[in-house]
Amino acid sequence: MTRPAPLGFGLGLRPIYYEEIISTHPPVDWFEIISENYMTGGGRPTAMLERVRADYPIVMHGVAMSLASTDPLDVDYLRELKALAERVEPAWVSDHLAWTGVHGISLHDLLPIPYTRESLDHVAERVMRAQDFLGRRLVVENASTYVTFRESEMSEWDFLAELTRRADCQLLLDVNNVVVSGFNHGFDANVFIDAIPVERVVQFHMAGHTDNGTHRIDTHDQPVCEDVFALYERAWRRFGPVSTMIERDDNFPPFDELLSELARLREIAARADAEGKRSEAA
Amino acid sequence: MTLAELQARFQAGVLAGHEDGASILESVKNSRRADRTTLFGVYVNAYRLRFVEFLVADYPALRALLGEEAFQALADAYIDAEPSRKRNARWYTSRLPDFMRGDEAWRGNARAIDLALFERALTDSFDAADAESLRLDALAAFAPDDWPSLVFGFHPSLILLELSAGTTATHTAAVEGAELPEPSAGAEHVAVWRADLDSVYRALEPDEFLALSLALDGHAFGDICQMAAFRDESEASPERIAQLLTGWFEEGLVASAGVRGEKGE
Ligand SMILES: [Fe+2]
Repeated sequence: MTRPAPLGFGLGLRPIYYEEIISTHPPVDWFEIISENYMTGGGRPTAMLERVRADYPIVMHGVAMSLASTDPLDVDYLRELKALAERVEPAWVSDHLAWTGVHGISLHDLLPIPYTRESLDHVAERVMRAQDFLGRRLVVENASTYVTFRESEMSEWDFLAELTRRADCQLLLDVNNVVVSGFNHGFDANVFIDAIPVERVVQFHMAGHTDNGTHRIDTHDQPVCEDVFALYERAWRRFGPVSTMIERDDNFPPFDELLSELARLREIAARADAEGKRSEAA
Repeated sequence: MTLAELQARFQAGVLAGHEDGASILESVKNSRRADRTTLFGVYVNAYRLRFVEFLVADYPALRALLGEEAFQALADAYIDAEPSRKRNARWYTSRLPDFMRGDEAWRGNARAIDLALFERALTDSFDAADAESLRLDALAAFAPDDWPSLVFGFHPSLILLELSAGTTATHTAAVEGAELPEPSAGAEHVAVWRADLDSVYRALEPDEFLALSLALDGHAFGDICQMAAFRDESEASPERIAQLLTGWFEEGLVASAGVRGEKGE
């Protein structure tokens, strides 16, 4: 299976940065949008997206597909998402291995599942149906989670790896989420990274989180932290050049700070590439 | 336990608003560092905080009017009464004014309800669907005989409101962080729409509110003149209505025009 060509180093497109992006045309390779923010009607969100889209590749990232929910797939939602994708022509469309609610209710959160054979059957089938409906392969992201269920029969990484094979979908590896979940559930983040099939990973998310001592919370409102940078280096060495972006959703810093974080990611990737070449030559 | 049952329990625990005693805890393990109640509590706390944030973002003036404590009480009551049934979080806050109108504790507070209605209109018009505005000279295409039968389509962002007097002044003061005006008696009429990608609004005289409401409901130009006169809007002469219509065009409110009963109206 071929992976889409890497887009380079990107950022999340957030309203607070619209004007700056459009007026200064910053050195960012691509932008990721939160799909739902553009599934409203028109006005500023749509107009700004059109302008950014004229200059940068766009990736669509959703939070509401609720792939793991036991409610029926929301066909109206998929129809709207498909219409948006037809307009935006994203490099790909992603959502999460999570559910957002049942019984017609949404908690507007990415909720955890037990990693069971039943869940795997269920999610794989829904990913396939969503892919059929959208007419494109889906990219599925690992979420940050805080609870481990007694019901689980396998690890999160085995679940994800098997899901990609069954549903023939791709993966968005959120490096920060691996660190957060690893801390919360007491697994080694390196083991997670090393178990994910290389050819399935098309995107990395980088973000910051909050350390509450006994558990870490995926707040996306802090700079990327050192252990996330370290795991990123390992991921880059394993998966090769993969489109990388920083997700900052709150406590927004000056845009330059995000550019500096992005520069650091470029350096890490370049160093890993150079070392890779040297060891090949040796 | 099936996945469906586990999800039902998990959601019930979050909606209940407290982690202690949630039946889902039977399925959750303690971690090395934290007990399961704390860990499940992350979802419970985040739920409430997130939904309050949605309301804070869309109703900043209402929050200034009510003060922190009363706003939090309103948010809690709304969140408890109405879990989200929308897939897109954008729409969760929309029903707050309706909730206030139906709720024992809030239905008597017209000032708060009307401020909420006004803020909802600003939010709705901000990202309403796009439409090209029609230029006034497009009317030259219609014969004078057709004028009484002209019907107009309006920009999807246009919202008309009849509010307690002083609502918009309260809003302005609240967003500027200034002292809020005293409540006043009577009504004010407002049009909210989008111009240059931002929500804007303007006060309407009662006759303009009536004429624009009728036009928005699809009544033809001739009928609007008659109905306005019938409702004893003595100012509402055909000349006055034509002058108002010109203004609507100039403000970009009109998106289409056609002769009633004909194709393309
Ligand atoms: Fe992520």
